[in-house]
Amino acid sequence: MPGDSPDSDLSPEEAQLLRLADDEFVLAERYTEWQIYAPTVESDLALANIAQDEFGHARLWYDLIQEEFGYEESELVWERAPDDFRHSTLVELETPEGDWADTVVRGYLYDVAERLRLDALADSSYEPIADRVPKVQGEESYHREHAQSWLDRLTGSGESHDRVQAAVNRLFPYALTLFSDTEHEAEILDAGVRTRPLSDLRSDWLDEVVSYLESLDIAVPHPADTERPDAVGRDGTHTADWDALHEEFTATYHELGFDEPATLRGENA
Amino acid sequence: MDIETVKQRAGPREFSPADDLPREYREAATRMIQFHANSEVMGGYLDKAFTRMAPSIDRKLACTAKCQDEIGHAQLLYRAAETLGVKSREQMLTELEEGDGKFLNCFHYPVDSWYEAPMIDFFVDGGAMRRQATLKNTSWEPYAHAMDKVCFEEGFHVKHGEDILRELMRSSKANQERTQEVFDEWWPRILQFFGPTNDESRHDDFAQQVGLKTVSNDELRNSFLNMYVPKAEKYGLEIPEYPRIFERDDGTMAVREDDLDWDEFWTIAKNDYEGSHEQIGSRRRRHEAVAWVRDSMDEWETGAAGSPQAAD
Amino acid sequence: MIWEVFRQEKTGDRHTHCGNVHAPDREMALMFAQIQHGRRMQTHSLWVAPKDEIAEVDADEAEFGGTTDKAYRWAMTYNNIDASFAEEVAESEAEQEEAAQKRGDV
Repeated sequence: MPGDSPDSDLSPEEAQLLRLADDEFVLAERYTEWQIYAPTVESDLALANIAQDEFGHARLWYDLIQEEFGYEESELVWERAPDDFRHSTLVELETPEGDWADTVVRGYLYDVAERLRLDALADSSYEPIADRVPKVQGEESYHREHAQSWLDRLTGSGESHDRVQAAVNRLFPYALTLFSDTEHEAEILDAGVRTRPLSDLRSDWLDEVVSYLESLDIAVPHPADTERPDAVGRDGTHTADWDALHEEFTATYHELGFDEPATLRGENA
Repeated sequence: MDIETVKQRAGPREFSPADDLPREYREAATRMIQFHANSEVMGGYLDKAFTRMAPSIDRKLACTAKCQDEIGHAQLLYRAAETLGVKSREQMLTELEEGDGKFLNCFHYPVDSWYEAPMIDFFVDGGAMRRQATLKNTSWEPYAHAMDKVCFEEGFHVKHGEDILRELMRSSKANQERTQEVFDEWWPRILQFFGPTNDESRHDDFAQQVGLKTVSNDELRNSFLNMYVPKAEKYGLEIPEYPRIFERDDGTMAVREDDLDWDEFWTIAKNDYEGSHEQIGSRRRRHEAVAWVRDSMDEWETGAAGSPQAAD
Repeated sequence: MIWEVFRQEKTGDRHTHCGNVHAPDREMALMFAQIQHGRRMQTHSLWVAPKDEIAEVDADEAEFGGTTDKAYRWAMTYNNIDASFAEEVAESEAEQEEAAQKRGDV
């Protein structure tokens, strides 16, 4: 199972896929926490749809890992050690109660990075990834537009503006971990799995998010001035928030002891 | 229109916002639809818990989609209630968080295990679907329209619920026993879901006279038994001895109503049960925590006066 | 200004778009709509709404229903479960099947 042996045993394709899948899965878990609690009925529905999309993307990437590298869902999601997950710590952080600003800022920062990442995977030398990118991109644009619609309207003035600023201040250092590289980076680039290095993606991301947020009168910390979080996620270091979340979502799986996790697929899955 | 005319004309989809209906009708309809809308919201809390517990990615997806549907149904229903001109959605949501909004008994019991998922997602949802099908013939047109969409969407809820039950009852003995235990606890609540027996119901008579309600609580309860008892038994669940279920002359099943604990039910109906306080308290806290977002959106909306923005 | 017109054929139906009229205000729009759109077709009620207040998003701009598999939210996926025991469940499934066919999912 991924992580049983030293990480360097992973192929570049596997490493890239795990990172993709883990990001989407954990982000989706945090989104679902808003169900029934969202500010309005309509916003509840919109965020639920985004959560479903993200779980769907995670599933799409986990499926690919299963098909190509011979794993089972149980090994990839339910029985994998928490420290073997490779998602950015941005997506695992708990959302403070009532902090809708946190969610839209987190979503925005993530969605821009995701678009850049997927663009760089669209021409992957590894066909199974390239084939799937358009489907995922098709849904991600709504996510970004959704986050921006909220940011446009919350940053007017007063309390909501302050909350967005506070969220940016808190989340920004973690957002940088989206681009933290791993020992696999050279191989990923050499093999052409991804066509642009993380450092380039980071640079484009900074240009875009800083420009947009500053246009809304939100100050963005300078990367050089931000302290790198202890837990980066990409190397298996995670926060206590993740440990708690992991325990919660795997508890029932272990309690029930089913032979294998249930699947519900249509003909065109 | 006077109330006698309303009773005479009462029929499926007969009345719409274009009609000038007496206050009694409008208040009765508001009460009924508001209860339904509140129940979708409060039922959502349980399905939300199940989403986090779900033991596979696909189960998780189905749970989160169901949860989403519930809020979608609440949206339709609060709107349908608003059309009666008695209360706004905001008022109804405020009443809910302040403990004045009523909702289904089953949602006054917080859940804490996956074994409870089929109780809600198969049995309670199955009962709800039965009731909702009959409400397609309600006299308040916007309510009937909402039911069209609700009935269209709910099919997968009940089937998913049954699938969860099937999986549990075909797995380990420990799981089967635990599921049976949980079923024993939930069964009486499920039977009371249909509301008080015909004798005890205060509002029913009027609701039926004006066509808001087309089938009595007892009829709904009994048709539920006929459909869901065989299913429960098919999966190896034993129907608890109490409340006693008997076969009537025409071969259909019915329940001995005085075997049910109506004390607990009426306490719940007043939002006064322990679980009621927990669920409503949780609602209030969470709803208040995001009041700042709603305030912000209201400001945005009025700030752009002249051209309504598509703000949430 | 232009007003879009929506007709309800008979009580219980939903209003559906049936055309438009030019009119300077709501009252005149209603007067004209009655004649333009209500004189022949079965009509129980007409609504008018200013065209400028109507916003649109179409399939070029939005991926309605998403692009990745969402079979889990359709009753037909649960094909090891028999829905015939409850009329309303079977009916819901039939409606969903029809919708899926229209969408080209089947």
